[in-house]
Amino acid sequence: MPEQNKPVADVDPVIEEYKKHVDVTLIRENLRLTVDQRFQQLMKMQQFAEELQGARRKAQERE
Amino acid sequence: MTDFNALLRLLTENEVEFIIVGGAAATAHGSARLTFDLDIVYRRTPTNIARLISALAPIQPYLRGAPAGLPFEWSVETIKKGLNFTLITTLGALDLLGEIAGGGGYEQLTPDTIEVEISGVQCLCLGLERLITVKRAAGRPKDLEVIAELHQILSETHRNQ
Repeated sequence: MPEQNKPVADVDPVIEEYKKHVDVTLIRENLRLTVDQRFQQLMKMQQFAEELQGARRKAQERE
Repeated sequence: MTDFNALLRLLTENEVEFIIVGGAAATAHGSARLTFDLDIVYRRTPTNIARLISALAPIQPYLRGAPAGLPFEWSVETIKKGLNFTLITTLGALDLLGEIAGGGGYEQLTPDTIEVEISGVQCLCLGLERLITVKRAAGRPKDLEVIAELHQILSETHRNQ
């Protein structure tokens, strides 16, 4: 059966192993938000990541 | 930073037909993973391509990661000659996809979309189950963690119903 036609419920042992490491608490928090709120949160995370990258660059320049 | 709200508003206000896919679609479904670009599948009809060109021209699309000064012309002809474009714009990173592996184009994906509201605009977003099958079909090792998370979201969603 072509991969794209497999039902998603198929058990894939590799995926099952990866699932053990997913933080379900974060998913539950996100599912309480609206889609709009999830995107606002994503953009805040992006901004924070960029600030961290900027801080790292400055620290490297000082070294 | 990619301004998802502004990009989606720009596309919608210009009546571009598109579907949110990739990491942004995962975010819409509840993923906690960070993504830096907006991936969309656009409809490859002459009318829609013309709308796309007109909508994005003000935000100066250019090939992401390409050296400055390459002769890249943002035009209907360029889009018609190509299929998938990885762009940087003044509003951030935007991937325009004519087709995706395991999913096909706009027409093939539309039956498996949901309508979502983001920043006051209604957009089509690839449904969770189809997003999983598309990610699996892509077969990229980097997607394994994403697929696992999407499966957990599916389980949580079913549990909440």
